[in-house]
Amino acid sequence: MTRADDRAAGVPRVLGDAWSLPRLDAHNRAFFTAGVLTLQQCTACEHVQHPPDDVCEACGGFDLGWLASAGDGRIESVAVVTQAIHPALAERVPYAIVLVSVADAPGVLVTGNVVGAEPDAIRIGDRVRVVFADARDPQSSAELRIPQWEIVAA
Amino acid sequence: MHGKAAIAGIGETTYYKHGESPHTEFQLACIAIRRAVEDAGLALTDVDGLVSFMDQRNVPVRLARALGLTELRFAATTWAAGGNSMASAIQLADAAVSSGHARHVVVFRALAQGQFGRFGQAGGSGGYAGLSGSLAWNGTYGMLTAAHQCALHTARFLHDHGISQEALCEIALACYANAQRNPRALRRGKPLTREAYHASRWIVKPFHLYDCCPENDGAAAAVVTTLERARDLPQRPATIVAAATGIGPQYGAFDMQHLGSAFYRQVGKHLWEQAGCGPADVDVAQFYENFTGPVLIALCEMGFCAPEGVEEFVSDGRLVGPDAAFPFNTSGGNLGEAYIHGFELVNESVRQIRGTSTCQVKKVERALVVAGPGYAPGSAALFGAPS
Ligand SMILES: [Zn+2]
Repeated sequence: MTRADDRAAGVPRVLGDAWSLPRLDAHNRAFFTAGVLTLQQCTACEHVQHPPDDVCEACGGFDLGWLASAGDGRIESVAVVTQAIHPALAERVPYAIVLVSVADAPGVLVTGNVVGAEPDAIRIGDRVRVVFADARDPQSSAELRIPQWEIVAA
Repeated sequence: MHGKAAIAGIGETTYYKHGESPHTEFQLACIAIRRAVEDAGLALTDVDGLVSFMDQRNVPVRLARALGLTELRFAATTWAAGGNSMASAIQLADAAVSSGHARHVVVFRALAQGQFGRFGQAGGSGGYAGLSGSLAWNGTYGMLTAAHQCALHTARFLHDHGISQEALCEIALACYANAQRNPRALRRGKPLTREAYHASRWIVKPFHLYDCCPENDGAAAAVVTTLERARDLPQRPATIVAAATGIGPQYGAFDMQHLGSAFYRQVGKHLWEQAGCGPADVDVAQFYENFTGPVLIALCEMGFCAPEGVEEFVSDGRLVGPDAAFPFNTSGGNLGEAYIHGFELVNESVRQIRGTSTCQVKKVERALVVAGPGYAPGSAALFGAPS
């Protein structure tokens, strides 16, 4: 947890401050506010699943808690969006959507963006670590910390 | 139940570019249904069942009123999904007539996106104020459309198996080439070249413009009844040899196990088990192209080739024309004919069984239709010539 906190402030959202924010609910609140990569973990069998749900996909258990991941990952796929499908993203294309596997949560893929990288230079296999962009939802006044990724080595 | 039901009639409207239909979506649905019933040699009052898919807006009570369907006793839709459930709708109709719950079931799909806005555009023109549900996980990062999701599966599939952009191009080229023979096809008279494909703009890499199906308006319908009754009707029946849906524990999200998948392994397994035959027995195949990449994956997952061989499988004209090594999307498919959420592919399969396609393959005994790839649950149907 400390490592993520050390790097906390100042990372911009890849899609910009004008882009929509997640509406918080019981399943996604920890992920988008904790400032640590937080994934759902079954209390009974320790299985990690993402996105969260009401039931553990491994054992069927209802008692679900949270794993504070170290936030180390690997790019497993990348798609570069060149045509904005919403006016708020017109200035942001091209941007890359990535799927990241998480070292301490085998099988899980997290959707994200990569800060400080040319979209076309991002490769499957790139090592990444989580970073957070601070955001405040003007509607709900919620303080968010949006997980994003930065490349640490190819 | 295998082979007890058949398609006895098909119909469709003129197909239009997005927003160019002179009719409302409901009117389009009525036109296609009337034509399918007429093609089957039946009266509208013979129709006692309606089936559709993908959150069909044209509901049975309204259709019953407009068409004079006085004795509806079966009305159902597949569990909410997209074009991936197109063949599940055939399965549902098959189940209804084979079990005797209905005698003549019309399966249909209608869409007028000019009237209602486009599918796959969550948020629409109103924007995305507050991304909730699955949009929170994906939309926050700009993953907003089916193209984005399918691009991520495709990119991984290409990467893992050393497949080039040319393989995607070949799918588009084949659909456009076959569309040139088809008077219904919106892309007739607009052939596609490899150069034009590569010169077209990117939508989301690895998809060029021509990898993405267009938005269209229109409707298509088919009448499902028992094979026994179909034999007494004017058209040559297209037997429903098998129809399968494949649902796995996938949640519709991404996980490592299914990355690079089109969610068709289970569909193939169920379909071939039910049919008692395999990919080698298919004479002609229609694959729903939402995007070209997932078609490559679905070809592999349905058992037609290994991923390492799929580029060769689709290259050098092997998919083009009635004499193709693998006759494929003979009407032009979603890309070349029209995007009626794949239902036009059902009608083309029936034409191939009847021998009336504009790209007719010789001696068709079995015609396969595979619904939208890239989303679970997928579905597929195998039609046969009546024995
Ligand atoms: Zn568990």
